[in-house]
Parts: sequence; C-alpha cells; structure tokens
Amino acid sequence: MSNLAVDLKQKTTSKTKINLEVSKAFKIWISALTIAFLIGGYFIVERFITGLAATNLSSITPWGAWIAFYIFFVGLSAGSFLLSTLIYVFGMEEYERVGKAALFTAIVCMIVALTFVLMDLGRPERLLNAIIFWNVTSPLAWEVHFYMVYIGLLTAELYIAMREDLVRAAKMNTLKGFVARLITFKNATINAATKKRDHMWMKILGTIGIPLAILGVHGGTGTIFAVVKARPAWNTALFPIIFVVSAMVSGTALLLAMYIIKKKVQKQPIDQGMVVSLSKMMVGFLIIDLGLQFYEYLIGWYGLEAEHLDSLATMMASEKAWSFWGVQMFLGAVVPITIVFWKKTSQNINALLAAAVLIVIGIIGVRFNIVVPPLVVPVFHELPWGNYAPTIKEWMVSVGVVAMGLLIYSFGELLLPIEETSDEVSHNGK
Amino acid sequence: MGLFSNEKKVDYDKIVDKMLPDARKELDESQYDTELGLNMARDARKVISGKLKIEDFHKVYSSSLTKEFGNYYASETPDTKKKSDGPKWAMVIDLKKCVGCDTCTVSCKAENRTPPGISYNVVMESLEGEFPNIKAVNLPRPCMQCDKPACAQVCPTRATYKMENGIVAIDNDRCIGCRYCIVACPYGARSFDFGDSYEQEMVGYNDVTSPEYGKERGNREKGKTPIGTVRKCSFCFHRLQRGEEPACVETCIGDARFFGDISDPNSVVSKLAASPRAFRLKEELGTHPNVIYLR
Ligand code: SF4
Ligand code: SF4
Repeated sequence: MSNLAVDLKQKTTSKTKINLEVSKAFKIWISALTIAFLIGGYFIVERFITGLAATNLSSITPWGAWIAFYIFFVGLSAGSFLLSTLIYVFGMEEYERVGKAALFTAIVCMIVALTFVLMDLGRPERLLNAIIFWNVTSPLAWEVHFYMVYIGLLTAELYIAMREDLVRAAKMNTLKGFVARLITFKNATINAATKKRDHMWMKILGTIGIPLAILGVHGGTGTIFAVVKARPAWNTALFPIIFVVSAMVSGTALLLAMYIIKKKVQKQPIDQGMVVSLSKMMVGFLIIDLGLQFYEYLIGWYGLEAEHLDSLATMMASEKAWSFWGVQMFLGAVVPITIVFWKKTSQNINALLAAAVLIVIGIIGVRFNIVVPPLVVPVFHELPWGNYAPTIKEWMVSVGVVAMGLLIYSFGELLLPIEETSDEVSHNGK
Repeated sequence: MGLFSNEKKVDYDKIVDKMLPDARKELDESQYDTELGLNMARDARKVISGKLKIEDFHKVYSSSLTKEFGNYYASETPDTKKKSDGPKWAMVIDLKKCVGCDTCTVSCKAENRTPPGISYNVVMESLEGEFPNIKAVNLPRPCMQCDKPACAQVCPTRATYKMENGIVAIDNDRCIGCRYCIVACPYGARSFDFGDSYEQEMVGYNDVTSPEYGKERGNREKGKTPIGTVRKCSFCFHRLQRGEEPACVETCIGDARFFGDISDPNSVVSKLAASPRAFRLKEELGTHPNVIYLR
C-alpha cells in the first residue's frame, strides 16, 4: 500500500510538470536532433538520386553499414520488447518504470531498422514487391511480414498499457490531454472491470509477442544470415540464438541508459535498486552471449575450412581488427563487466550508465563484425577480396536515420503518457 | 467495337443456353451420379480454357469415376510431361583445354555489354604445387544455372527463378535490389548494377544494351532498369532464342567449352558429363550446378 502511495505522489508531481511549457533542455535536444536530421536528410536525398553508387559497397561486399545498423536496431527492438514482457507477462514489477518506454522504444527501433533497409535497397520504390510476391523460401520475405505483424502488436500493446493514463490525461487541458482525447473513445473509463480486461490483454499480447520477437523477429533476422551456406562463418545453427541473446544485451543496456539519462536531465530521483539489478541482468546476458560466441569461433576455427578461417582472420587479425578487439571485446565486454562487478563501481549510477552506453556501442561493433568480415572474403580464393569501409555519405545517412528515430521518440514522449507510472503492475503482481 | 462484339457474344451464349437441353434434367434420367456429371462438365470447360491442368482434373475425378463406373471406365492421367519437353541447357568446360586467355570474359562483356565492375564470366587462375613443379589451373566461371539455386531460394520477391530450360532468370523489373542473392550465391556469379558506364572511354556505350532474358530495354540511362538491380550470366538466353550458342562457347579459342541439351542422352554435353573426368564446383553444397567441368 505504501508503495502505491509513493507511486501516486510521483504521478501527481510528474503531471504538474507536464502542465508547464516544455523544458529548455528539451528544446535544445530537439533543435540538435533537427539539425542532425536535416544534414542527414540532405545525404538521404542524395542517396536516392545517385543510388547505391554513393556507398563503398561492391558486388563482393554487397552489404555494409546500413545492414549492420538494420540488424542492430532490430536487436534493440526485440531486446526492449522482451524486457517489457518481463514486466507485463511475468509480473516483475521492479522494472515497471521502464515498461511503457520499453514498448515505445521497441516500436521506434523497428521504424529505424526498416528505414535502414529502405536506404539499402537498390530499388527502394519497389519495397512492396517483397510483400506482393512473397517467396516462402526466403527468410528475408518472412522477416518483412514478421516485422509488420510485430509493429502492429507492439502498437496495440503500448496502447493498452497507456490506456488508463490516456483516459486520465484526456480530462486535462494540456497537449497530452488533447492527443489523449484524439485517440481514446469518448466513453472510456477506468474501473475494476477495465483494469482486469487491460491486464488480460497485456498478458495475452505479451505472450504472443514473446515467440514472435524471439523466433520471428530477431531469431528470424539471424536466420537471414544463418541460412546462407555460401558463407561458412554465418552458416551455423547457433547464429540465430546469438542474435537473440545479443538483442537482449543491447535492449537492456539501451533502456537502462535511457532511464538514467532521462531522470538525470529531468532531475528526478533515480531508482538505484532497479538500476543495479537491471545492470546485473544486462551483464548476465552479455556473459551468455560471449560464451556462445566463444563456441561459435572455436568450432569454426577447429574446422580448418579455408574460407571460415579467412573470415575469422579478417575479423580478428586484419587492419580492421580494432573493431573486434577494441570495440566489441574491450569497450563492449571487458569494461562493462568490470564496472558491474567491481565493488567500487557496482553501486555507482554514473559508472553503470557508462557501462550501459559502452555495451550499446559494443553491440554496434558486434553487428558490423557479423556483416562485414564474411563478405570481405570472396567465395573463391582466386576472386578479388573485398575492401569495405563505409563512406562519409553512408555515415551521414545513418546519422539522419537515427536522428529521425530519436525525434520520433522525443515527440512521442511529449505527446503520449509514456513516462507516467500507473498502478497497473502492482495489481498485476498481486 | 470490342464492346459491341462482346455483347453479341453474350447474346449467342444465351441463345445456345436456351437451345441446349437442361443438363440436370437429362442426367437425372440416367442411372449415374448427376452431381458428378455436372461438376466434371464444369471442370472440363476450365481445362479447355486453360484454367485447370488436365493432370489436376484427372487427379480430382479418377477415384469417383472408378467408384461410379468401375475400373474399366476410368482413364489414366495422360502422360503430358514428355521427356522431350524442350532442352535443358548445360555447359561443359574442359579444363585441360583452357589456356586462360580470357577470350570468354571479353566476348561476354561485349555480347552482354556489361558495365564497369560487372563480369558475368571470369577465369580464375591459380598455381598448384611447389616451384619448380607447378602447374597453372584456369577455371572459367560463368553462372552455374544451378538446379537447386541458392539465389532463387533466398530471393524475397521471386525475381530470381528457375526457368524450364534450366536457366536461372532474373526479372529485373521486379528485383528490389536487396542483394541477398549476391550474398547467397556460393559461386560469386552475381553482380549489382551500380549504374557505372563506359561512356567516358567508349562513345555510344549507353546507346545500346543487350536484350537480356529476351527483353529489349533500349539505351542505358541513369535510374533505368537494370540499374539498381542484380545481374548475372544468362547462358546468353537471347542468343539461344535465335539458335546461337552462348558467346563464350562460340569464341573459346581452345574449344574448351561445350553447350547443349543435358536431357538428351545423346548430346555432346550429356556424354561428356558422364565422363570420369567430370566434376562440379562445390558439389557438397547441394546446389547441383549445370556447368560441368572436366578435370
Ligand atoms: S551459380 Fe549462383 S547465381 Fe547462378 S544459379 Fe547458382 S546460385 Fe544462382
Ligand atoms: S537483389 Fe533482386 S534478385 Fe536478388 S534477392 Fe533481392 S530481389 Fe531477388
């Protein structure tokens, strides 16, 4: 009960804040993002005019940075969604404060991921062909369909999670109230029956979502790579599993980082217990991920297959190996694990924030190391080797797309009751 | 005009319908199943108009016909799939005869007018053994036109598909340029058309393109298909249509390449493919290439 009272108090404080104008920090943040988006937008337009000649891709290395970012964001999405299921399906109320944010992050990450796919197509205007002429043996075609269903499910779930807040907000004369009135029914109310109904639907949707996110969305994205028998470094059954686990790593890390940063900017109290336990979970996933990767590399290496060895060598012992040892292993694994387990830093919010951010960066490295090295090695030794590093244009397009995603997220938080904590979960747990 | 004639046709149909005896009534008088007769008549019309395959027709009705008329009346599915349905193209390359001159590569580029960075055929050269006991191996590599093509398997849009004559085709008007097929081809046979051109070095290069897969596309222009899509060797499908061999086969100076119908057991390629020297590249992947090498 006391727990509930605290919640209610927090709710009222946060609501009085919303009544005010948007904060200065928010304005600066939005203008910075808009500038980034406009600069990126210039390159996006240019990319559509010049086509893929704007990239450093070739027929030997046909996929590069944009595909890496695409799987990175799909991973973030699947990871944050799975985290939200911990709350809404398994009733882990201690993480409730990030629940709706997790769902909304999952949606925005999916939008960003699909935009990266669009950037990467040679013929973006034909994107719908993958839906119209669905080839059932193609994992990529399946994924496009899974993504659509998944986004729909996430949206439905987010709506239900927000419903009570929306109904409450609709009575207020703020921007949020206006939006809430637009998207709620006139006769929407909150009572015991609707509460029960909402809980039930959250549970049902969350439960459908778990296999969809694991097998369909992220395992499926791993499958896109794993089925390619032409590239031995991808063609293992462990691959989709590594995808899912690393999705959990990056999703948890992202939500943790976002939670801390937001609370810091808004100068609100940070729930230290939750931060510490989330970071333990994040590192737990990371260690499982490292274990799986270890076996993946060991078995590939032990097989002594020339192409597989070449792929491993390109990743770990070429001039681009810094992205494996430096980003993926040191920044993305060694440092954060140390931070979380070292006594001096394990309770320090700032250090844990750094760990989370490093893990997110490390997973970007992981994604690049998945996509690029096996595509640098040619399928026959006599064919020319690839030499790929993203061009400035590719980076700028990526900046633009990510800025777009952050803008969507920021405006979503401004207009929708994403942060308000309801007593939803405390009931669920009982 | 078309409208008028159409209407008249409908009228005739009606007249005919009136003149014909009522099928149900007639069939009711017979001792056999009325519904079966009506259904068969309806589906027979579908077979004639090409909406239903004759094999499917037989599959649907053979059991009920046997029931109705006994074994004696039911007829078997006619064997429409003849072995001599048309050729299934294959190529044999004799590595002992290949001198590594790259004539095939050049003639292919000239024939298919491929842009910079794209070569449907390459000759992969390597040295085997330790000096001084070395030998040069030249391995020409077109698209293998696999029987189980990895590229068609992964293509999300079915833009890449296997034709009945064994050639794996790309529908460049459907391809979305995702390049999954390039990634998935174990032979590196596919290239992405980034839109480059030889116009700088070669006046008029953009004026003509090759009619790949039998489709005339006119001049090469920025943003025009096949730019932004994937391309590969088509066994010179447009030449086959005129009864000519692929350009690489025709120009090979060592006469190392043979081309023909692998489904005909008496063709040169079939006989060579049966030789103990024959092998295929990366057989272990199960793609079953239609380019066969003689070692
Ligand atoms: S060689 Fe490659 S492109 Fe050609 S059919 Fe086989 S898998 Fe497809
Ligand atoms: S690039 Fe074109 S042909 Fe290749 S898989 Fe994608 S849609 Fe199919």
